[in-house]
Amino acid sequence: MRHGDRWRDPNWYKRAIIYELPVKSFYDANADGIGDFPGLIEKLDYIESLGVTCLWLLPFFPSPLRDDGYDIADYCQIHPSYGTLDDFKRFLDAAHERRLHVVVELVLNHTSEQHPWFQRARRAPKGSIERDYYVWSDIDEKYRAARVIFVDSESSNWTWDPVAQSYYWHRFFHHQPDLNYDNPAVLQELLRILDFWLELGVDGFRLDAVPYLVEREGTSCENMPETHAVLKAIRRHVDERWPHCMLLAEANQWPTVVRAYFGDGDECHMAYHFPLMPRMFMGLHLEDRQPIVDIVQLTPVIPDICQWALFLRNHDELTLEMVTDEERDYMYLAYSADPQARVNLGIRRRLAPLVGNNRRRIELLNSLLFSFPGTPVVYYGDEIGMGDNTYLGDRHGVRTPMQWTSDRNARFSRADPARLYSPVIMDPIYGYQAVNVESQERDGSSLLQWMKNLIGLRRLFPAFGLGSLEFLTPDNQKVLAYVRRHSADTILCVANLSRSVQPVELDLSAFAGLTPVEVLGYTDFPIVGPQPYFLTLGPYGFYWFELQRRPV
Amino acid sequence: MASTGLSSSAAPSDATSAKAVLVAGLLSYADAETIGAVTTAVRDGLASHFGGVVSRIVLVDSGSADGTAARARDALGSSGGLLELSPARATADMLELPYHGIPGKARALHTILATARDLEAQACVIFDAGVCTITPHWVDWLIRPVIQHTFDFVSPYYHRHPFEGALTKGVVYPLVRALYGARLRQPAGAEFACSRRLIDHFLGEDLWERDGAQVGIDLWLATSAACGDFRLSEAALGVRTQHTRSEKTVDLGTTMTQVVGSLFADLESRAERWQRTRGSVPVQQFGALPAMAPMRGSSVDLERLIESYRLGCRELRDVWTWILPPRTVLDLYKLMDLPLAQFRLDDELWARIVYDFALGYRLRVLARDHLLQSLVPLYLGWLASFILQVRDLGAEAVDQRVEDLAATFEAQKPYLIARWRWPERLRT
Repeated sequence: MRHGDRWRDPNWYKRAIIYELPVKSFYDANADGIGDFPGLIEKLDYIESLGVTCLWLLPFFPSPLRDDGYDIADYCQIHPSYGTLDDFKRFLDAAHERRLHVVVELVLNHTSEQHPWFQRARRAPKGSIERDYYVWSDIDEKYRAARVIFVDSESSNWTWDPVAQSYYWHRFFHHQPDLNYDNPAVLQELLRILDFWLELGVDGFRLDAVPYLVEREGTSCENMPETHAVLKAIRRHVDERWPHCMLLAEANQWPTVVRAYFGDGDECHMAYHFPLMPRMFMGLHLEDRQPIVDIVQLTPVIPDICQWALFLRNHDELTLEMVTDEERDYMYLAYSADPQARVNLGIRRRLAPLVGNNRRRIELLNSLLFSFPGTPVVYYGDEIGMGDNTYLGDRHGVRTPMQWTSDRNARFSRADPARLYSPVIMDPIYGYQAVNVESQERDGSSLLQWMKNLIGLRRLFPAFGLGSLEFLTPDNQKVLAYVRRHSADTILCVANLSRSVQPVELDLSAFAGLTPVEVLGYTDFPIVGPQPYFLTLGPYGFYWFELQRRPV
Repeated sequence: MASTGLSSSAAPSDATSAKAVLVAGLLSYADAETIGAVTTAVRDGLASHFGGVVSRIVLVDSGSADGTAARARDALGSSGGLLELSPARATADMLELPYHGIPGKARALHTILATARDLEAQACVIFDAGVCTITPHWVDWLIRPVIQHTFDFVSPYYHRHPFEGALTKGVVYPLVRALYGARLRQPAGAEFACSRRLIDHFLGEDLWERDGAQVGIDLWLATSAACGDFRLSEAALGVRTQHTRSEKTVDLGTTMTQVVGSLFADLESRAERWQRTRGSVPVQQFGALPAMAPMRGSSVDLERLIESYRLGCRELRDVWTWILPPRTVLDLYKLMDLPLAQFRLDDELWARIVYDFALGYRLRVLARDHLLQSLVPLYLGWLASFILQVRDLGAEAVDQRVEDLAATFEAQKPYLIARWRWPERLRT
């Protein structure tokens, strides 16, 4: 492996702080209106200055871009709009020089209909290996129990192909035919692709849409045992050749179901905790800790080497698939009174607009993100409180150009504004003239500076990434309190989910004799005694305390 | 072990496959003048104090053109046994002469430690072949704590004139003690010894190819030992002088950049550790300090030091406001007008200044070289103040004064931690 053994910790992902970005949205170096790898290289100093430790890049492969790159036409090349393979290699080297791990997408479930495999398959004889790279049927009645995921744009999971004279199976858009993992050649192809990128030096893969790899009649065609067998085979391959490589599963399912994607530590290293995110927003709006506590308590234990990936927002909608119908109705009312903000079963908004651009709420939610068990994922632009544009269609409104300065095109690109892949945000609240990196770097009290500090703090305390979690149960339901423990470290986190000052009495008798040291300011609080420990928290306030035993 | 990218150019041979209990490593560069005496002293020290155990002398020369290696071979004569290795040829670091003069030092040290590990040595002791004052006792004082008393790291303690090594007294020692909890008074010494367990730890550390390893490696190994679960001690070696390897003189600004820069870089990489360390513990001392008469009077031009400080106050005011909080800057201004006899830079103020510079270095509030250079006038002010306080004291009292300063650094540590965790950006 180049660059030594990538900084030696095989479980690096457990202490990572991930920064998610689409290359096209970050910085345009060649003035064609589309972000690219040379531009990303130019902005690595900024990313390094944030303190994050890992980059997750959204798909950057050749693609007709009908699903923003998740419809891949060539797995081993770079989309010409984003640069060349040499540009990518230069980026990778530059990122590694800054000790940033790099995770890329591996879309296992489907390809673009323009992928040569599909073009070959539709013309290949029925029953041939080439044809069987995809899932075909003479009728569109098979697998009826499988739900349609993109309910706003697709009415069936089958689409007729006039060339093949057959229906092909697709769980997402009709232009994204599903690969057929019952054909062993498909897995071999994917392993070759995986080796290609690992050989270049990437550190891991986000495995897109993993629950849908294998179909079986009479089932939901999700989370099939055969799907897990495919993932285990990938993991075996990785462990044998690339022991530092991390696999992150995208499985938008309940935690008890996602648990299976960790296997016995022999499947994926990480998986997103999808249901936690909407419940953090719900708890905040209800001013009640219960939704958060409930979902965490429903979360099963995972193998030691595994880790949850946590996020507040990402490139997709705030998905409400993993909530009850009543909870979904509540979330729609609370966070998307404007129907324009809704897409599929979710809300297509960024963090700041979701919480009414309330700085305290943004900080509180981030404090939860950074102190809950798991690895936090920060979506580009959320560190400066960027807004969105719900009128751009699909989820493009949360993928607008990064806002660097108040200059033309937010200094994202020197191209004519009309040439940009997407208009920049221009409204008076979130527009680039009000919200941009340059101004926040110069403002000592900006959200950006606050985020840098929080990220720095998170990195100081391994307990956040590695430790256990125990909830406390104070009478005041508006206060969420929990203890993170790892090795000799004990950290008490207390958060006020409400808009008003709240008192709370915590039962800290198990920690009697210890001194709570407020983490941000390194300030000693009164020693814990046998009586309830009394604290007052300001609106949306939070405290992190190290519980220290002081020498007598 | 995972590859570090470092390797010895010496081919495996019978010489390297034989086991040894002790390994004495010599680092050399253009040391023809001194290496003979050093080699002889090491050989004699091993023979007279550890004659019953198998030992090897390993020389890693960093490309001397003056016959250094031949002098070492000659010194051992028929007794032979010198194992000569070369560090993997580096690029830039071989061309850059650091203030203490061994180009490619990190690579050379790595080569010796890796050899000691391969020889399954119980202890490894390192000597700079440019040292002029070594005696066979140094071998005993450095190795015995490891072999006989199960210490893992033996740091040197050289006897110095009270005004010598002021950067160590005023910055390096107090900072290392306050942050890492180990009272190693000269933690960046060229000579040291370590146990087999610590050799393995060192070789597994991710510091050999870090930027600045050329200069900072001695200090980083000491802090690495302090941060691990290792037993530390000091060996008093007496007076140390070193022959000059280069005609070029190194100015204080360069020294400050190299020494303090490598210390600040270490702080950055070990923040998780030092923020959990409370207090400090003394380390056991071995060896013996020769008696030295109290030094009265001084040839140091105090007026010149203070004038440099005043000039810094006038010229660097704007720079300092990026690094130091307003209260500190005001306190520094007040010193400008004091007459020489009353010139005092308070310990607490000095500790906070050093901590603020460490923080500014971390936050890159200025180009790091510029930041460190701007510390020079402040250091000269501190030095003047220090000399004024100790010039009439005996050696013990001077040591106590340094201990008091280090204790203040410990007391002020929460100031650093609080600002490190939630920095206040003074100017943006």
